[in-house]
Amino acid sequence: MKQLFTILAMIAAIFSVIISVLPISNLAIFPAIASLLFTSMAFYLSKKTGEVKKIIPFIFLLTIISLGLTAYKAIFTKAEVTNMQVLKEKEAESKEKAIDELEDLDLDDINLE
Amino acid sequence: MQLSTLLKLNIFYMKHFFILILCLISLSINAQNNAIAAGEKLIYTASYNMSGILTDIAQVTMETSEAKTSKATLLRLKCSATTYSKWDNFFKIFDLYESYVNPKNLTPYLYKRDVKEGNYYKFMKYTFDQKSNTIKSLQRKRNNVEENKTFSINPGTKDIVSTLYNIRLFDYTSMSVGSKKNFIIVFDREEVKAQITYLGKETISTNIGKKECYKLAISSSENVLQGKNNNLLWLTADENKIIVYGKFKIPVGNGELKIKSAQGLKN
Repeated sequence: MKQLFTILAMIAAIFSVIISVLPISNLAIFPAIASLLFTSMAFYLSKKTGEVKKIIPFIFLLTIISLGLTAYKAIFTKAEVTNMQVLKEKEAESKEKAIDELEDLDLDDINLE
Repeated sequence: MQLSTLLKLNIFYMKHFFILILCLISLSINAQNNAIAAGEKLIYTASYNMSGILTDIAQVTMETSEAKTSKATLLRLKCSATTYSKWDNFFKIFDLYESYVNPKNLTPYLYKRDVKEGNYYKFMKYTFDQKSNTIKSLQRKRNNVEENKTFSINPGTKDIVSTLYNIRLFDYTSMSVGSKKNFIIVFDREEVKAQITYLGKETISTNIGKKECYKLAISSSENVLQGKNNNLLWLTADENKIIVYGKFKIPVGNGELKIKSAQGLKN
């Protein structure tokens, strides 16, 4: 049982770390919570038998790192579009082409102005 | 399912979510434009609900400007969707939708759609002939193969961009709660029927302050929109009637569209 919880905690912690470095970092909270629960169980059961393996604090550390990274990204990372210049150029080019195409259309029959 | 596959899937549906936002409605009558002027810029954040947590995916911009030809001055309605830079290493989207319309009643004359989503590319152009109710279309795909097609449309059928702006021309003050409006929009060279239902007024908090809004429910003949009152739009209950908030439910989840900033409003 102790081993099972340790393995589950390790898997959840690894998932938590991987997700926390991805753009969907806010989802890392789920495996992190699972990892904390499994680590606690593994720690409790280990304590009962009198021997706490080093892997348990290591898993705990991994989970804390992923949670820290998630919190940092949630607080300090701004969602923004950085390549705006390229996009603006593309939009301007499209407008120029459109005006040329509109010149060819028969707009005389509509009272625009 | 692999995480990267899941990510791509989510963004794939986000893409459709954006199209959906644009694809809401098509106006069958030409109301007079007293809400929209050149120089208006609305910026939104599109979020997708992943396991109960909203994740910001893309920035949606709706902008108007003048398009001057030697004969007339038209209004250019532009909608663009760009994924936030944090997604660039996974999946990049740049969608540009434009409609060149009569500034008085938003009747479209030229519509362009330039879609670049990862490795997918599609360009579509409609040239409207309002006299004969026909559209001359040009479609171009990644391999540069061009396809021309002329097809008939129903009177009042509009492209999705002018339709989206057209819903702002309604006089909601004279509408009773539960009243409906039907529309036809042309998308991918096919006409789609859609309907909005006026659900009354509601005050909501937005990034541009607390706003009293007209609440609308949207439904379409396609099965893209799920449920009757799950797809909602909030338009400010003032002369500008700008969209400040949207909630959407699609087959694989749900998402939101929230206003970030608004500039150059007419009233």
